[in-house]
Amino acid sequence: MQRRRIANRMWLAGAAVAALLLSGCQQVSQSDQTEVDLGTPVAGEVPEGVFEGTTLTFAGSGGIFQDGQAAAAWDPFAEQTGATFLQDAYDPGKLKAMVDSGNTTWDLVNATQFDTAQYCGTLYEELDYSQIDISNVPEGTITDDCMVPQILYGLVLVYNTDTFGDNPPTTAADFFDTEKFPGQRTVSASPYVDPQMFEFAMVADDKDTSSVTADDIVPALDKYREIEDSLITWTSGAQAQQQLESGEAVMGLVWSGRGYGAANAGAPVAAMWDEWMVMVDSTAIPKGSQNLQAAHSAINYYGGAEQQTKMSELTSYGPINVNAKPDLSGELGNWMTTDHLDTGHYPNVDFWVENYDALQSAWSSWVTTG
Amino acid sequence: MLPLIDIIVRSFTDVSPADTRGNYWWLVSNTDNLIIGARTILTSLVVTIACLVLAYPYAYLMTIVSDRSRKWLTLAVMMPLWTSILVRTMAWMILLQDTGPINAFLEAIGIGAQPLIRTTFGVALGMAQVLLPFMVLPLYSAMSKIDPRLLTASSSLGANGITSFFTVYLPLSRPGIFAGSVTVFILGLGFYIIPSLLGSPQEAMISSLIYLQVSQFLEWGHGATLGVALLAVTALLLAGFSKLTKQSAAKAGADR
Repeated sequence: MQRRRIANRMWLAGAAVAALLLSGCQQVSQSDQTEVDLGTPVAGEVPEGVFEGTTLTFAGSGGIFQDGQAAAAWDPFAEQTGATFLQDAYDPGKLKAMVDSGNTTWDLVNATQFDTAQYCGTLYEELDYSQIDISNVPEGTITDDCMVPQILYGLVLVYNTDTFGDNPPTTAADFFDTEKFPGQRTVSASPYVDPQMFEFAMVADDKDTSSVTADDIVPALDKYREIEDSLITWTSGAQAQQQLESGEAVMGLVWSGRGYGAANAGAPVAAMWDEWMVMVDSTAIPKGSQNLQAAHSAINYYGGAEQQTKMSELTSYGPINVNAKPDLSGELGNWMTTDHLDTGHYPNVDFWVENYDALQSAWSSWVTTG
Repeated sequence: MLPLIDIIVRSFTDVSPADTRGNYWWLVSNTDNLIIGARTILTSLVVTIACLVLAYPYAYLMTIVSDRSRKWLTLAVMMPLWTSILVRTMAWMILLQDTGPINAFLEAIGIGAQPLIRTTFGVALGMAQVLLPFMVLPLYSAMSKIDPRLLTASSSLGANGITSFFTVYLPLSRPGIFAGSVTVFILGLGFYIIPSLLGSPQEAMISSLIYLQVSQFLEWGHGATLGVALLAVTALLLAGFSKLTKQSAAKAGADR
């Protein structure tokens, strides 16, 4: 009797597993079939209830940025379309593992424009721009076929206004002038290399970044080595912000959102907008995503003026829709990158993608062994 | 076993176009790899010595106190082992940070704040705390086998305390020293969490380099090669140490 019951249970369990497997297969084939007609895409718009039963996973960079994105776009998208939106943390190595094993569980990721340009078609799906309304995306910010901008931000010289009140730094060269502007400055030593760090040093030397060559990489890093005695480093955005807030650094080359974070916390800091480095992060679709249409639609939705306004207000990062009008009263108004696009330097993406290995080895050598 | 084989195969086959002469050439020709490798060995060595210095008197204390006190001493050693490394490292982060309690104390007594976190000192301190039990336990097990009457005998034959320690006690505790040091040193070589949280990139060890190559640079061949190299170094060291231990055991036997 006892044995029979166990056998019975096992049979039941087996049936349940089989049923699960079947329904799993069905779901896959279903998502292939449910190409719905969404009409001509308009940024920020999606028909009601079209993705009922679809689950999308977004892998972002965490912190207030990912929270803000979810609140401004992903959650409303889920609510309107009936889709479910899951959140995860982005890691390039994990993405490669997923794609290599043919089991991609992410549908949208937050990557840099250098990631997408390097691995377009291998780790990221080439986007179908007929499904995304990009008419309001700032000109020149779509730099490869696998991305739509995620945010417009910058690597900005942020300085202490108590220290340099009447005589603030106004050029990139001032950052390297430790005699005229004495004090500790902080720069990134994070494993993530921002080519903008190199370009900033070139701008300080009056070099033209549009004609950068591989021979410019080492001299650019040497500029930082030259001011080593006045240099401290940050390895996370939070750390950069803390160094500015505590006054440990009188100036720093930091992500604009972190400068805003420090100012918003009451630190006496301001940005030097006379020369700054434009940065663009991308939304991309990992190769092998099971929900291509829904992922495209989500990107289209994310780019709406209303969504972008809200995203900017929540995160301080610049909107990627020219019609977005975040409320800039208060501190936020001093930090909106999109107000200063005319004085920003755009990165030479083609060059850096081409020379990424050289850049990376020079960089990792500098951050790990000085 | 299969993942290991995959890693070894990958270290030969997964070659990036930039490495014209293969991953192993990249490994030895890139000075940064050598610097970080040397740093890894050095940090582990410092941690091993620190653990030995701290654990030796502690383990000795464990052999001479009452059973009851020994239980408490053992508990004090074992307690940290039952706490997650991550939690302990977070605790060190709070203690060591620039505005943390240790610096506040140093400030209060007039020494002034010192850089503690993101220094080699911070990394070594965190690692030593985690690895200390692996030193204390083998030492205690070796010391508890030493007959205390031997010390009495040596002093009755005219040796003073220091002489009898160095000629009688220390050689007899050598198996414990070897076992503990090898364990701590080899575990230290592979540490990842502590150097990456308590250190900065300037304190990066091989494991951080592997993570960087695999997860950020997507150079899996480089990562695999570094992994194989670390494994080979560990195996070599283990073989060397076990030979040494055998010799010393043989010698100790002969001496007797």
